[in-house]
Amino acid sequence: MAVYKRNYSAYTGTVTPVWTRVLVLARYAFEEAWASKITVGLFIFCLLPCIMSLVVIYLGDNPIARALVGGQGQQMLAIDAKFFLKVLQTQAWLALVMASWIAPRLITFDLADNALPILLSHPISRFGYVFGKFIALFTSLSLITWLPCLLLFVYQSYSSPQPWAMSNLQIAMGLLAGSVIWIAFLSVLGLALSSWVKWRVVATGVIFAAVFVPAGVGAIVSAVLRTRWGLLLNVPVMMSNLWQRLLGAPTPMDERLSVPTLAIAVMLLLACLVCVAMLNKRIRAREVVRG
Amino acid sequence: MGIIDLDEVEVRLANRTVLSSLTGELNGQAIGLLGPNGAGKSTLINTLLGFHLPSKGTARVFGLDVHKDRAQIRGSIGFMPENDSFIGNMSGVRFVRYMTELAGLPSEVALERAHEALFYVGLGEVRYRKVNTYSLGMKQLIKLAQALAHGPKLLILDEPTNGLDPVARQRMIQLIKDIRKEGSIRLLISSHLLRDIDETCDEVLILKDGRIASLCNIEEERRSNRSFMELETVGATERFSVSIRGLGCECATFPGGRIKLVIPDNIEARDLYVIASEQGVQIRRMNQRRDSLEDIFLRAMDNDRARNDQERSANGRL
Repeated sequence: MAVYKRNYSAYTGTVTPVWTRVLVLARYAFEEAWASKITVGLFIFCLLPCIMSLVVIYLGDNPIARALVGGQGQQMLAIDAKFFLKVLQTQAWLALVMASWIAPRLITFDLADNALPILLSHPISRFGYVFGKFIALFTSLSLITWLPCLLLFVYQSYSSPQPWAMSNLQIAMGLLAGSVIWIAFLSVLGLALSSWVKWRVVATGVIFAAVFVPAGVGAIVSAVLRTRWGLLLNVPVMMSNLWQRLLGAPTPMDERLSVPTLAIAVMLLLACLVCVAMLNKRIRAREVVRG
Repeated sequence: MGIIDLDEVEVRLANRTVLSSLTGELNGQAIGLLGPNGAGKSTLINTLLGFHLPSKGTARVFGLDVHKDRAQIRGSIGFMPENDSFIGNMSGVRFVRYMTELAGLPSEVALERAHEALFYVGLGEVRYRKVNTYSLGMKQLIKLAQALAHGPKLLILDEPTNGLDPVARQRMIQLIKDIRKEGSIRLLISSHLLRDIDETCDEVLILKDGRIASLCNIEEERRSNRSFMELETVGATERFSVSIRGLGCECATFPGGRIKLVIPDNIEARDLYVIASEQGVQIRRMNQRRDSLEDIFLRAMDNDRARNDQERSANGRL
């Protein structure tokens, strides 16, 4: 099918393995997400706390700086699980902002222009389609969560005057596990909600609402029924509990705000299952009209 | 083994039977899928693409089961859907490249073929424009380009001339003819426009109410050179048509006393006048001509109606 001839000719070359088609979807979705200047701006903004943390680690490991800040400041410059918990919490909530911006870009363009019939007429399943988008979102969120957190951990290990890394390995594991759980949850939630809302701005708002509105409902449930199980609807409290336990940080919160880890895991799993059901309902090549 | 094999295919959607007992072997270079709106054309296409699971029977494309081997089938199919279906904020060339890569071509090859496909369909000059700035005709063409770019073995076009002005329609028809002439691609073209199918296809599958009303080779039907006649009558048209059926004519009646006939060799126009005279029916106009797809279609519709009537009366007797 040469351009100058403008005739059709069949393709006789090699084709890529079927499993790599998911990566094609992920690559295009990733490019789509990062084509926006707002995404780049957000990314830079999300890295500012990490740069500040980097400075704190530098100062914390610098004897002159420690001497200058005195006794009160010594505690402020302590690089321990509590410090990394704060870093993780900051990055995690920035990841929510990032996810609520990126996720609608990945799905709503396809839905708004009814691209699913064409996309799914190729050798890609509905699962493959969602998984490709998931990879793109998960990778984008990784760039501002576990990746910079672990780099900070590595830097602290390098710059600490005493051997530090091996005795604090739980922090690294906690940073990785806590981030991965959170961004996987955010990715599924973001994609599921975006698949039901055609307008991107609305989808962004809905993702925020899905995290914070249940927290209010949970507080009402707790107050009315005089139980702490309403906290299971409070994502910020649940995740703070989880991160604190994963990093082995001292409990910063009131004991009444504590929720069993198993209950948190079950709630996150249930939320993910609901999201998967939403995606299953919406991501279809053809809509079957009932009646 | 045909290009498409249907064996008692039934598709139920939302507790409603949309396709029922479809059986047939489609072998043409360009197969037309005809039928009124709601006949099940798009559902059949979606079933062949593996979007709907047949509730009964099996459907095969190139000998592969449409459900079990759907990934393999989709790899060798190019699909142009009926409605708008694209990613509007992508440039034309990027969109076609994306679809081509999804079909399995390596990235660089996909880019090259995307450019070529866009030139082939006549969108070369606008390939860097975003798809949502395209006119309706251009959007139809870019759907065709993405369906073609990866070099499919079967090209499925669902209402390809939908919403096109006469010039754009003619261009689309010409493209389809060129693709057919090239010979490496089989075509399945769904349309409710007889003219489109007549101009592009050599085999036709006519659907009505989810059933096969007719499956025939258009060329063979034409070669059979049967004599067709259109009558405009006044009087007891129904009784008259029953009588001429008795002569061995295939006959379809329409409102306003219009009758279409397929006349066997041994019957002459005079015989019709005799019957008309006996029954007091006036023949106001008589037009004899060769077979057309319209006749095939109308006959199929009429046969289907007659079959339904028979079934209904048989059920009534039971």
